[in-house]
Amino acid sequence: MTSAAMTSLPLLSLLIAVPLLGALLMLVWPGSPTPNRLRGGAIATLALQLLVSVLVLLLFDPDQAGLQLQERQAWLPGIGLNYWLGVDGLSLPLVLINGALTLVSVVCTRELSRRPRLYFCLLLVISAAVNGAFLADNLLLFFLFYELELIPLWLLISIWGGSNRAYAATKFLIFTAVSGMLILGAFLGLALFTGTVDFSLTPVTSERLAMGSQLLLLGALLVGFGIKMPLVPFHTWLPDAHTQASTPVSVLLAGVLLKLGTYGLLRFGLGLFPEAWAQLAPALAIWAAVSVLFGSLAAIAQRDMKRMVAYSSVGHMGTILLAGAAASPVALLGAEFQMVSHGLISALLFLLVGIVYRKTGTRDLDVLHGLLNPQRGLPLTGSLMVLAVMASAGLPGMAGFISEFLVFQGSIQAFPLATLLSIVGSGLTAVYFLLLVNRAFFGRLAITPHNDPPRDGRLDVQLPSVAPRETLPALALAVAVVALGLLPAPLGRISEATTTAMAQLPLLLAAGNSAGGLG
Amino acid sequence: MPVNPADLVRSGPMPPAEALAATLLAGETLLQDSPQHLLEVVGVLESYGEVLDAYSINLIYQAEEQFLNPFPFFKYFDGDLNPARLWRHLNHDRINFEYAEYCMKAMLWHGTGGLDAYLDSPAFAAGCAAIIAAKRRRDPLLAMLHPLAPSFLPEQIRTAATVHALGQFWRVMSDLFLDLARAERRGEVSSIPAVVAFIKQGLVAAVANPIHYAVKVADERFWVLPPEAGLTFLVDVALPYVEAVFLRGTPFFGTVSFNAQAEQISPDQGSFAYGALYADPLPTMGAGIPPSLLMQDMYRHLPEPLHRWYRQGGRGEGDVHVKICRSFQKAMFCVTNATIAGTMPHPLDSRDPQQQAANRAHALAWAERLSRGRTDCLEA
Repeated sequence: MTSAAMTSLPLLSLLIAVPLLGALLMLVWPGSPTPNRLRGGAIATLALQLLVSVLVLLLFDPDQAGLQLQERQAWLPGIGLNYWLGVDGLSLPLVLINGALTLVSVVCTRELSRRPRLYFCLLLVISAAVNGAFLADNLLLFFLFYELELIPLWLLISIWGGSNRAYAATKFLIFTAVSGMLILGAFLGLALFTGTVDFSLTPVTSERLAMGSQLLLLGALLVGFGIKMPLVPFHTWLPDAHTQASTPVSVLLAGVLLKLGTYGLLRFGLGLFPEAWAQLAPALAIWAAVSVLFGSLAAIAQRDMKRMVAYSSVGHMGTILLAGAAASPVALLGAEFQMVSHGLISALLFLLVGIVYRKTGTRDLDVLHGLLNPQRGLPLTGSLMVLAVMASAGLPGMAGFISEFLVFQGSIQAFPLATLLSIVGSGLTAVYFLLLVNRAFFGRLAITPHNDPPRDGRLDVQLPSVAPRETLPALALAVAVVALGLLPAPLGRISEATTTAMAQLPLLLAAGNSAGGLG
Repeated sequence: MPVNPADLVRSGPMPPAEALAATLLAGETLLQDSPQHLLEVVGVLESYGEVLDAYSINLIYQAEEQFLNPFPFFKYFDGDLNPARLWRHLNHDRINFEYAEYCMKAMLWHGTGGLDAYLDSPAFAAGCAAIIAAKRRRDPLLAMLHPLAPSFLPEQIRTAATVHALGQFWRVMSDLFLDLARAERRGEVSSIPAVVAFIKQGLVAAVANPIHYAVKVADERFWVLPPEAGLTFLVDVALPYVEAVFLRGTPFFGTVSFNAQAEQISPDQGSFAYGALYADPLPTMGAGIPPSLLMQDMYRHLPEPLHRWYRQGGRGEGDVHVKICRSFQKAMFCVTNATIAGTMPHPLDSRDPQQQAANRAHALAWAERLSRGRTDCLEA
């Protein structure tokens, strides 16, 4: 296919349409397809989606900072809702990772006994909605897609979740609904205060809108997206949701859905209100440091592996806020790296915790011991876990190092104290993950509380072996984590122009204001 | 108080010493009788017999043909050095003679029984002096080395003597275990008590086998362990072997530092518990490491019925070494059982209170040590 032919295709719309059609296919699949057949259909759909993503990547010009491959269709212009799509260096990596991690979620789905049609349909709807949100070039359109993923995720937790799924799903629903209301309120408030129904992504200056109003609207966005990321103190829904969600849903939740919050924060918080953002930046940096430290300290206190990984997300999301607060080119590039690397690493961690839970029946760090045992333990899972925790702790050669290094390097001049505190919090990642590895994977293999004799009086623990197909998604993610750590340049090339332009936005506006406005 | 390594690996309920002693005094077997145990014990002893055969041949070759060789690079080749065998050796497609050396070093270091006593005797020192003098006349390197380190060559001869003695011991045990497998196939052995009785009978038959060892330097023959030393199979080699390898053992080389830093090595050699009966079947890099090289060697010689049974359970081939180790421990409890029965001071049915007390003391002494081992494998 020639480049001209490819550009004539509505590729961005296809990124939304393909998974939606796949979801429809799940529902109308004739006969009584087995879960494996449905999974095959979902995998084919997502492979096609990934192929389209790659085509978008091939057509993407990394030297351009603005939105590219734009598709514009008027929808309800009277209320400012237009079907405008575009992709830039901020959203393209997230679109790619969405396709990849949804595919991983589908592949790692095992033993699906209930409503397989609905399950795969919901996963595909989420993937479509997330793509839509990342590609939307209209505030209301973004909000529609942002809300579209909410109900499928709620269903995925409440139908296929753990024993306390109703509580976790309801809590997730309430928090995320409030998040959505605040974001919608901010978007509508913008229209109300500026007196237009233009919901395009145009930066708001103090000439258009008083600083007080900007701060009010930005505050609503900060809380709205802060819930989704999540940031302290709006994080309490996340550990519960992760604990009760099945492994594939946790992979999606941590790897992709949290990124809607970070993406929204940078795209709409920084992008719409750069002047107000600059005013709030010192407070945001402190908020980020508190989030990083709290997330890490809370993770240290956890005994459930999944809750530990969930709290680690709270900490890592804090570093993205720190990067956003600094808003330097390097920091914002670091934020993009952090979104991608956290997506890969947290997905890997949840996959591995899922394998441990499936094989041992517990995630309790006081019960699991010696899982690295080469004969009867989970040696490959354990080895990958060691790799994942090294990556999460930011060891050189892994994806986590690049992102944290860039974030801290980009923010240390603007906010030295907050950065140093965040570095300490990031260092604590090594502490809690080493605790996890030491407790659960090192020592003698046993599935028993400390000092308690085994229930059957014997020490020869029998764990089921892990089939290669169960480890394959984790292996693929591990390769990606190392590859991104060793070869970060391609991702940097995709995002650098966009993040540099975003970093220059406050400066441009300040220069424009001093020269009499942007014109 | 140093930690007993056995404490690190055992947490399940084990039979108390009194119960084990009562079992021994009643003439019952420590290992419960079951068809599965019979399959495991006879099968694993058959593979062990094959391995011991190779160990025995090599140890005797080393002691006789590599005697005081300062560079014994090809000591594992039994004199059959060719490129194909060298390739298999480097590719690890071979018997792991390193485990045999480990057992020999454990015996030499713990040094119990008549063999050790003789190795420290003036008669042995005189024999060493004669051998060294003969060697120095023909080997300039040793001629220079001996005045610099006068205790080096006698220690090498002590080592060679232990190597040869262990080779002789394993020759008997290899034949015994292979005979046991043949007897089981003929239907002459069909239960665990019969297995223990068979081994006891074999040990008793070899009780007085003389242990001696001579070397040739040029054309001259020298006794290292002469017949007049009066060393015999059971008391001077078998029991020290059981003491050193089944019970005491030593931490494997890679873990010596680890265990020393964790204060897990007792200053009292007699309280060591690194032996095969204490080894944790799960390799954990802790104190109770299974003899994994031996497991690997036995795996290569597993009889098909036992191999098939291993494949059916657990993780099949995936955890076969753990299964072999557990079966091996069961088998070693049977051998120990036979040794205890064979060395019981008086008949078990004696009505003499003094003899009963002596038997009881003998059984309790063994039971006390066994109760700290991996006796959790004894139940059916």
